[in-house]
Amino acid sequence: MANIKETLISTFPHGKEVLQEIVDKRKSGTDYTLENGKVDKIINRLHNNNLRLVVNEIIEINNNTKSFRFTSEDVLLPVFQAGQYLNVFVEIDGVRTSRPYSISSSPRQRAYYEITVARIPNGFVSSYFLDKVKVGDKFEANGPAGVFCYNPVFHKRKQVYIAGGSGITPFLSMSREVLSANLDREIHLIYGCRNEENILFRDELEKMAQNNDNFKFTVVLSEQSENWNGLTGFVDGNCIKSLISDINECTYYICGPQVMNDFVVEELKNLNVKHSMIRREMFGSRQDIYNEIGWPQELSGEEVVIVTVNGDKKIPAKSGESLLTALERSGVRVNVCCRSGECSLCRVQLVGGKVFMPRGVMLRHADEVFGYIHSCKAYPISDLEIVL
Amino acid sequence: MQHFNTIIIGAGNGGLSCATRLATKGKKVLVLERHNIPGGCGTSFRRGRFEFEVALHQLNGMNTVDNPGPLRKLFREYGIEDQIEWIEIESLFKVNLPNGFEQSLPASRKEAEDVLIKRFPEEKESILRYFDTVFKFSEESEKFAEMQANSTGEPSVFKKFIMKNLFAKKFPTLAKYAVCSTQEVMDEFFKSKELQLCVNAYWCFMGMPPSRFPFSILARCTALYINDKPYYLRGGSQMMSQALADTIRKHNGTVKYNCGAKEILVKNGRAYGVIDDNGEEYSCDYVVSGISPIDTYFKLIKKDEVPKSAKEYLSPYTVGISALTCFIGLDCTPQEIGYTDSFNLTYTSLNCNDDFQNSYNLMPDIDPLINTCYTVDDPKVSPEGTSVITAGTLKYARSWMELSPEEYYETKYKAGQIILNRLEEKYPRIKEHIEEFEVATPLTHMRYLHHPEGAIYGFEQDLKSSVFFFPQEDQIQNLTFANGWVNICGFGPNYLYGAKVADKIIKLMEAYNG
Repeated sequence: MANIKETLISTFPHGKEVLQEIVDKRKSGTDYTLENGKVDKIINRLHNNNLRLVVNEIIEINNNTKSFRFTSEDVLLPVFQAGQYLNVFVEIDGVRTSRPYSISSSPRQRAYYEITVARIPNGFVSSYFLDKVKVGDKFEANGPAGVFCYNPVFHKRKQVYIAGGSGITPFLSMSREVLSANLDREIHLIYGCRNEENILFRDELEKMAQNNDNFKFTVVLSEQSENWNGLTGFVDGNCIKSLISDINECTYYICGPQVMNDFVVEELKNLNVKHSMIRREMFGSRQDIYNEIGWPQELSGEEVVIVTVNGDKKIPAKSGESLLTALERSGVRVNVCCRSGECSLCRVQLVGGKVFMPRGVMLRHADEVFGYIHSCKAYPISDLEIVL
Repeated sequence: MQHFNTIIIGAGNGGLSCATRLATKGKKVLVLERHNIPGGCGTSFRRGRFEFEVALHQLNGMNTVDNPGPLRKLFREYGIEDQIEWIEIESLFKVNLPNGFEQSLPASRKEAEDVLIKRFPEEKESILRYFDTVFKFSEESEKFAEMQANSTGEPSVFKKFIMKNLFAKKFPTLAKYAVCSTQEVMDEFFKSKELQLCVNAYWCFMGMPPSRFPFSILARCTALYINDKPYYLRGGSQMMSQALADTIRKHNGTVKYNCGAKEILVKNGRAYGVIDDNGEEYSCDYVVSGISPIDTYFKLIKKDEVPKSAKEYLSPYTVGISALTCFIGLDCTPQEIGYTDSFNLTYTSLNCNDDFQNSYNLMPDIDPLINTCYTVDDPKVSPEGTSVITAGTLKYARSWMELSPEEYYETKYKAGQIILNRLEEKYPRIKEHIEEFEVATPLTHMRYLHHPEGAIYGFEQDLKSSVFFFPQEDQIQNLTFANGWVNICGFGPNYLYGAKVADKIIKLMEAYNG
């Protein structure tokens, strides 16, 4: 006799039909043993947490800047949106860390990803890339990731890219894509640099402007120079107004040092550009964190504190360096991607002590309530106790 | 090697609740979560000024502080009730039909009956009879569930015979409708298609169109949401997920993030340990899987240790639907563009079952559109003067999986544009107010949930696979499940189910030790 459940169900209207359907389905049903690995295979075409990259080519851009072309060791490189970044892991002197780099190549080709690294004074990773990395070197990376991209659903077809220094890289990818694929968009790239030597990809960008009606390129130098006929000063409201005729018909994308980024946003607001039309790339932890708004005046950034991890391990940390950096220095493995406070992968629980959090940290409501922080943008200003 | 009473794989709703119950009862637990944050489906993400909820709509089983429903009682027991700001929702849903027909249904039986009678006076008798049936069905099924919970094992042949003959007398409504589809019941009660759509909106909570949606689930949903009121909470489902995870830690449980399970160790048909993603091995008495039975059996366990029965047992079940969702942050209040209710369902025709068939296709042009704005109930869920909206349709992943990766982003934005255009028809000028707009496709759900076909509700919950037929029988000793793949989907039901699984384990431990 059938079990009680089936016995009862067989007395209900449709009961017998449904029971019969199950019997039939059991014979002709799905073989789920075949499912294994399918999800990863599909997802890895769009985003891969374990990219294994090889340096295929290194291009010298200027004395202090190089582009690196990576190919994949195994699979085809995942697709990406122009403006997205790769988080590349490095191991330098026994310390494993990573840096997010905007991809500067066009997403319309995926034979390689190109990133561009400019030297940062005292830059731990940039010096490594510029001085040590050679063709054939292998890297792990995750990505592509990031939301600093054109969103056709609500962004305007007229676009103003405002770049500062090495912040030009996402715009290279965006511009290269629009022009190579002949997309229906108009671009004005305004590039703020210190001096002529610092203008990256100048030849390419000037050629792009010469050959395409929908691409304009303006350089603004902050240092005065006799030989320079172009604009000088800062990329401010007047400058933008003089270059862009229909200010409210454009979407603005800003990528550059934090100070410049903050400045331009204010200038655009003063021009009554809608908040939603100002898209800014996140920026990593600044080296001069003590200049950030809200930094406790009594601290110099040099204070050394002790961080207790998971109740037992004790590691040193410096108030002027992110908690993530301290963890990495001590060999504590933390998941990480954007290093800019946005993606939350490096999230840890703060059980005791105080951290300073600069602007731009995108905590969830639950993080604030339950005391979770993004270690990439949390500065230990007292002894801490954290749980990973 | 470290030993745990129970290792829970995946910090989703079921797993978290199960681990919390075990930890608060003094059991030593380990929760392994591959993501960097607890919650599984119960999570959120940030864009610009906004925090977007990804899964929760209406929480069931809360009710008031003085008259707590089962879920509030559970949260009280876990000590997390007071850590969260709960928000009661006034209306169950609003239905928008072609030609401007709009109807919202209040979360009160009397008021719901009244508004419907006012709108459809010619079907007054049917409306009253329908609600009567819904509540009777719900009561009877609760009683029956209680009876079942108290029974031990399979009854004798004689008792079976008695039960078979008495069941319909004792539980007449349950017996009549237990294995009926929603559409069949709709047609039995109501002539008007409009009216049918005004009462059956909860089909979309389980991703089955009325023609395949078990009426039993609709009846339970309707009765419970009316009795206990739908609830939302400030900070979204991530609040509950985090509160539970922290409670586990507070009771000396271990929760590991960024570290999933690589292997469940099984020998002679019995699970005895787990190896995590970092290669660390633990022994345990029980394993509770919070992930799909498909991955659990066929990915985490060595092939020769998987019993043949597992493959056969799962074969009648079909991996369910995913979703295509737009997360929208607006720089205006909900009222400015015409939102009056938090949960809205918009149809392009009166034939919902046919429209639903479009969920097998890529684009969301005629699929029933689900669109929520919880800023309506709580202005504080987004910054002052803004609104946070999720709008989308249910979608099977297949057509998205077949896309070439090169087509992906373009297709995704195109789909988002279609949804936005449909919203603009209903809420003119919404386009001018967009500040953030993110599209999640079935592949996005696949990426974050790691579910086959990006399924958001586990297996399809139709008549032959749900209610009486959830795949809850364990195929390996000491390995059980706590999630929406083996149980009715949804937040409340899985928190409660997780606790039930924990109780079962505690009982087994006591039996073993005693």
